[in-house]
Order: sequence, then C-alpha cells, then structure tokens
Amino acid sequence: MTLCAGCDVGAATAKAVVLDGDDILGFEIIACRASAVQSATDVMDGLLKRLGLGYEDITCYVSTGYGREIVPFSSGNYSEISCHGKGAHWLVPSIRTIIDGGGQDCKAIGVNDRGQIDDFRMNTKCAAGTGRAVEIMTEAIGLEVSELGTYARRASDPVVLQEPCCILTEIEIRHLVLEGFETADIAAGIADIIARRIAGLARNMGVRKDVAITGGLAKNEAVVEALEKHLGVEFVRFPYDPQIIGAIGAALFASELAAGEGRVIR
Amino acid sequence: MDEEGRVLALEMLPYRNLPRQAAVAVMDAAMARAGVTEGHLARCLSTGFGKKAVHIADATAHSEFCLQRALWDIDPAIRTVIDVGGHTVNAFNIDPRGRISETAIIDKCVAGTGKFVEIMAKALELPLDVDPALLDGRDPVPMTNQCVILAESEVISLVNDGYDRLDIYAGMAASVASRIVGLSKRVAKIEKVAIVGGVAKNVAVRREVESKLGVELASLGGIDPQVVGALGAALLAKDEAEQGQR
Repeated sequence: MTLCAGCDVGAATAKAVVLDGDDILGFEIIACRASAVQSATDVMDGLLKRLGLGYEDITCYVSTGYGREIVPFSSGNYSEISCHGKGAHWLVPSIRTIIDGGGQDCKAIGVNDRGQIDDFRMNTKCAAGTGRAVEIMTEAIGLEVSELGTYARRASDPVVLQEPCCILTEIEIRHLVLEGFETADIAAGIADIIARRIAGLARNMGVRKDVAITGGLAKNEAVVEALEKHLGVEFVRFPYDPQIIGAIGAALFASELAAGEGRVIR
Repeated sequence: MDEEGRVLALEMLPYRNLPRQAAVAVMDAAMARAGVTEGHLARCLSTGFGKKAVHIADATAHSEFCLQRALWDIDPAIRTVIDVGGHTVNAFNIDPRGRISETAIIDKCVAGTGKFVEIMAKALELPLDVDPALLDGRDPVPMTNQCVILAESEVISLVNDGYDRLDIYAGMAASVASRIVGLSKRVAKIEKVAIVGGVAKNVAVRREVESKLGVELASLGGIDPQVVGALGAALLAKDEAEQGQR
C-alpha cells in the first residue's frame, strides 16, 4: 500500500487527510495554533496517531493553504485553488464551480471537465463574506456560529443589514439588539449579508453547474441556504466533510508525486 | 455655549449603548456642568453619525458644515480639513470665502479610522494612543493588509513571529496615515491643512500624516480635535438663534 497525505493550513483551521489509493483513511481538523508550522505538525501528528501510523509510513506529503510554504514535512506545495479544484473534481466530476468560504478569504473557482482550473476570483482586500466575519457578527447576537442556522430558520421577519464592512455591520447588529429585534431575525440577516457578498464574487466570475461549496462556511447551513437562494442553484453535497476538500486535493497531488507524475512545486 | 459664543461646558463620552441613549447622557452631563436645563437652550443642532437620534435637537447639521464653522473661528486660513472619526474618514477644502468646495469620504470600510486603531491597539495589548516618546527611533514593521480583520490577524502573526510590539504599532500608524493621506489626495492639498476627529489626537499618526503630506498640520489653538464638530454645531445653533431674534 502507498499512503499519501495532504495538509491544508488555512487562516483559521488546519486540515490533514491520509489517502490509501482511492480510499480516504482518515482526516483531522484543528483550530490554528500560534504558528503555521505548529498547526501543520499538530494536525498531522493527531491524524497519524489516530490511524496508528508514523511519519515514515507516508510515502509523500503535499501541503496547501495560507501556510503551505513552511510545512516542515511536505515534499511539495500547491495553491489552495488547485487543491480545491483537484479534490472537488475527484469527489464529484460534474462540478464546474466551487465556492470556497474560508476563515479569512472567499474564492470562486471555475473547473473544467478534466478538473483543471479555468477561472477564479478571490477577495484579498476585505474580510466581508468570510468565516471570520460570520464569527464577529454572530458573537454580536450572543450565539455560537454553529447555532446560526437553527436561529435563522426560525426567523419571521429577517432584518436587512446594510453596512458593507463587517466591523460596521457588527455595530449595526449591536444597535438592532438594543432596539429589541428578535435574535432569529438578526441571525437570518447575518446569513443573508454573507451570502450576498459571496454571491457577488461568484457572479463576477460566472456560475456554471454543478456548483459546490467548500471550506468552513460550507458547514454553516444558514449561509449555504441563503447563498443557494441568491445564486438560484442547489449545491452538490460532498460525501465527506466540505472543509477537507483542499486537503484531499493536496493528498491527490501527493499520490501523483509518489507515482512520479506531476511537478514538484516548492 | 452662551450668546457670546463662550463655551460653558464640554463633555465627551464613549458609546455604551444606543446613539439616542448616548445623546441623552452626554447632553445631561454638559447641561449639568454648565448649570442650565433644556429650557435655557435657545437652539440645539445635532451632527455626526447618530445626529438623527439626538432627542432635544431642533434640527440636524451636516458634519462638514459644523467643522467648517468651528475652524473658521479657530483659524480662517485653514483650506484643507481631514476628519478622521471612529467609522469614517472625510476630507474637504474650504475656499477663501469660507465655502466648502471639494469633498471626499470613506464610509464603507473602517481602514484608517479610529475603530481600526482601537482594534489594532487591542491586538497589540497597547494603549489606544501610545506615548510618542516610546516611538522615537522605532523601526516600523510595514503592514500589508488594509482590512481591519485581515490586519488584526497579520498583527497577531507578527507578534508571534517575535516582532517588537512598538515597532508593529509604528507600522500600523504609518498604514493608517497612508489611508488618510490617500483619501486626502482626492481633494486639493491647499495649506493650511488641519486634522480633526479622535485619530487627530494620535501623535504617531499625526507625524506620519505630516511626513507623507509634506506639510505641517495647523494648530487648533488648544482645542480638542475630537470636539470640533460639536463646537461647530453649537456655533451654527448660535448663528441661527441670532437670526431668529432679528
């Protein structure tokens, strides 16, 4: 057996996946540590330990994500855009558009029928529409991010948030709370403003079916539903956690490297 | 302010809740200090972000008109005004007859505002306005992100990477100044240039603004740059009260 691993060190979480050929042996997601090196080491240590493996049992490691260049055990690194494209296409070959909602960025990625990236858009200047923005706004109504969906679904008269910057939206939300607006109505408003931001980015690139959403935001049902409504599409659901698609893609690149295919990018 | 334009009381409070509650609290405190009640006020104008929420105001006034009115009294030679508030950055020109000409504003992003400085200082565990003596001879760490959320995590990474917090603060002040100067380039740079608003009290930012603009910022004659808008609103209210009596 040839085991390969992918490690995706993002802005908020680090993800690791171990592949045995076409089988996902296991995966791990942790919150980021103080440094990218520590995050990568901790997530891979945790996964290997759980699988009863040592570092030497893995033939090839590929890293991706924000901290990909400094992962100590990696044999090569690929951009998170390539890895999301690779991972998503491998799991669901009909996917042509990937929306990746990360901790501190948000991307729209176009994929062709061979799984190659043919277009992408990314916000690099502003954190509105990212996981961190959801966190800040949700905190302002005293909820955990995981509770947002439950509350948003109970909304009877969702608020329409106006401010473009999420720090200004946070202040807007705090005022709505003080004015006595229902938590559920504000929760729905939060999901909606995030979805509006992401939908704008995706439409700017062009949305081709099938469409999938990856990253931590893909686990936020309230945002996912609002985004489906704004884009007028139903997302393809992955058979695995949508937050590990980039790490799966990295592990697939590692398999290619181990088989002597592909280029090593360091 | 009395009918002669003398300031009887001046109060400033941080927001604790809603604008309308903050307005009640700050007006009550100012009237108590001046020894007057609402009945004594001939005219009251409100201005700023929460101007519509001021319960006792007879009317609202645009912040640029208020700033122009106060600065005209402070130094009529001021031709360019940069107002750096908590949520917005605003720049405008005043012509020799006291009329507002060019104007520009950033109100969709908090980069360069007081909120930005506040979040960065908190991330650095430093006071809002660091003692300028501590910043002398510092080696500012350049910042790459303008967005406050991204800049906050950049700053945390820099601290984790072992950079000195005061060097990071100096870099942050330079970044705020770039943003402010960037906006001010959308109006004409005519001397004298004055900076008002809460961020105008941050010496590190002021110095960077002066060096980037290549001008010396006008003195406000000892008036707190954060109260210039309120002072202008009071002066406009006084003008209107006088006109009403005539």
